[in-house]
Amino acid sequence: MPQRSAVVTGLGAVTSLGNDLASSWAGLVAGRCGIGPITVFDPTGFRTNLAAEVRALPDAWIDGRLRRRLSRSDVLGLTAAREALAGSGIDLSAEDPARIAVVLGGGVSGLLDAENYYRDLLSKGFRRARPTRALNHPPDQTTDRIGELWGFCGPRATITTACSSSATAIGYAADLIRHGIADVVVTGGADSLGRLTHGGFNALRAVDPDPCRPFDRNRKGLTIGEAAGILVLEEEERAHKRGAPVRARFLGYGVTADAHHMTQPEPSGVAGARTITACLKAARLSPEDVDYVNAHGTATQQNDSAETASIKLALGERAHRVPVSSSKSMLGHCLCSAGGIEAVVTVLTVETGILPPTIHYEEPDPECDLDYVPNTAREARVRVALSNSFAFGGNSTVVAFGRA
Amino acid sequence: MKAPVVTGVGAVTPLGRDIRTTRDRLAAGACAIADVEAPEVPVRPLRSPAARIGTFTTEPEMPRSKARRLDRGSQYAVVAIRQCLADAGYDVKGREDDMGILLGSGSAGAGPLTDLERQMAVESPEAASPFLFPYTVANAPASLAAIELGVRGPNVTITQKDPAGLNAVFYARMLLADGRASALVAGGADEWNLTYHLAYERLHATRTQSTPGYALSEGCAVLLLEDEDSARERGARVLARLASIVSTGRPVSPHRRRTRATDVAETLGEALVDAGIEPDAVGRFDPRRVGLLHLSANGVPWMDEAERKAVELLFGPHPPPLRTIKHQIGENPVVGALQLALSALALGEDPSLGAAVVNVLGAGGNQITAVLTAP
Repeated sequence: MPQRSAVVTGLGAVTSLGNDLASSWAGLVAGRCGIGPITVFDPTGFRTNLAAEVRALPDAWIDGRLRRRLSRSDVLGLTAAREALAGSGIDLSAEDPARIAVVLGGGVSGLLDAENYYRDLLSKGFRRARPTRALNHPPDQTTDRIGELWGFCGPRATITTACSSSATAIGYAADLIRHGIADVVVTGGADSLGRLTHGGFNALRAVDPDPCRPFDRNRKGLTIGEAAGILVLEEEERAHKRGAPVRARFLGYGVTADAHHMTQPEPSGVAGARTITACLKAARLSPEDVDYVNAHGTATQQNDSAETASIKLALGERAHRVPVSSSKSMLGHCLCSAGGIEAVVTVLTVETGILPPTIHYEEPDPECDLDYVPNTAREARVRVALSNSFAFGGNSTVVAFGRA
Repeated sequence: MKAPVVTGVGAVTPLGRDIRTTRDRLAAGACAIADVEAPEVPVRPLRSPAARIGTFTTEPEMPRSKARRLDRGSQYAVVAIRQCLADAGYDVKGREDDMGILLGSGSAGAGPLTDLERQMAVESPEAASPFLFPYTVANAPASLAAIELGVRGPNVTITQKDPAGLNAVFYARMLLADGRASALVAGGADEWNLTYHLAYERLHATRTQSTPGYALSEGCAVLLLEDEDSARERGARVLARLASIVSTGRPVSPHRRRTRATDVAETLGEALVDAGIEPDAVGRFDPRRVGLLHLSANGVPWMDEAERKAVELLFGPHPPPLRTIKHQIGENPVVGALQLALSALALGEDPSLGAAVVNVLGAGGNQITAVLTAP
């Protein structure tokens, strides 16, 4: 394996709890719920009208001409990238743009725009439907927009493995640094609400009519959300040399497939455990090193029990001494950006030693018998933390961060 | 970084249900680009043609009864991947955790997405089919192929407008170098979609009788990349070595097809140097070192011209043998992977070619260039 390693020097977030990192983190630590009524589309006729929606789109800083072309996802992603780049203190005018890469996760992206185009096509006819709206859908739009706006010339990629997209993107980004292909990578992900994804999860009966309750015995499913969580990864040596604000070290990741079912997790936990173990192996860690797990914790019956089993299989005895919490209880399931925003949360946990809670937790489930940091944040010594992401198709990724 | 080797190839294209038929029909000058006469066209005849796969069966690689519920992109992927593994003589059994699948795509899942949207818009939100929804994700082809084959190693889908198939190869090389798997299927899978076609046509991106442009395509093309030691250990036939692959971006808006010859030359040149092909004192490369150069040229005049100039900048007035196939098979993120697979076949059959280069330029300023060398 190459000798170079990656550290996190910048973080940015736009969530239903706040339009920047500080307000989002404050909300998470306070155990505030970002879930509320959907306003970006008419939710009439669905099982629930709830989602974790970004309330006031932070687009005032974007030039009007550009803004008109952007999807909601693009705005979230560009805003979080701007915050992360500013926080990293990198002087972009002094950098070689060829050494800066952009690797994001996406999927829903500008789907709502494309849906509106398609509906216009059906109802108003071809001439009155605006095709440019359909072309906001491809998830690589946000990646290219970031590259365009800041003039980056390094490699680009957009990972689209549904709910693990952004976690895998962070792994790809770190590989670019480790292999000497890039020095700085803007990574993480952005994703926004879509009528179709909401409808799809409704059709699968996978949504809770009330705000989701991860790991609770009476959990009924997920609540979808939207967010951007962006990290600036940087080669460690040069980050230290320029006196960068190193917030955490990227330790490694595991990426595997369940090869089980398109929508159901492998129930025994063996598949998820394989991903966690692959991450520990790549990061040269043992189960005893792990101090916190930011769970995938979607609040579906199947995920939460299978994930609990995975953690127990992978960490063994240690599992019962490791706090595990689900940020989705507050941020909703931000789908393809979940891995990005949850990586941001995991880095902040490592940095501050504050464990964000799992809220709406009332009744323990015998199948979910770990410490889920119920309802109230608490402090702990966190040297190493994992963030789990499991997806449709059995695409699983686990990333590990360590104290700087 | 350790260079992996190519030990098998597979493809389902508008010119053939396997890669060798595709290759032979390309060589014979066949063209798959034709007017779209589909019953699903609701509005008016389309102005621009496309290269589509017509009647298609997944048999013998997958029973039709099983394939029926899969989207087209996933059907192409399962067939092409099975063909690729058979071509490589690779038995998954006993290696399930040590191999994976990486695919690039531009609009995989768009077919089921539009079907689901139609159900919700025309009928009601309640009418959304729970059976359709899982296939709306872009990772359906790669994930379903992994489920079908029982493959449990890395499984990743990358979306990018044109170079996505090569981007999967780019990532696969890093994963193999890190020992995350000893074999990875990498390439692209995509399906043609009417909504996208209408949108691109309205933007004047696609070719019509009066305007130049590209023709949309579909299919799947994959290569089996293996760690060289593992491949030799199992006695595999090695077609080629992935000597280098370089990925760059330029600040161009996402759907814009604009590039400068000097930028194209820079990426191409870097890929050649990484593959051990050095320029002379004035920066020119010896064209005799490259037996085959697959161009990105797809009918967008200024992009094709920039690429032609870049080749001239690098090789002078006498370039290596150049190949273009997009005027026969159309453009989409699969075609770059197909060009790479065809290059591997060519090198396998005639190692005296020495090196084969595949260049892919994409909308949004993206470019990926790969160099294969004879084993």
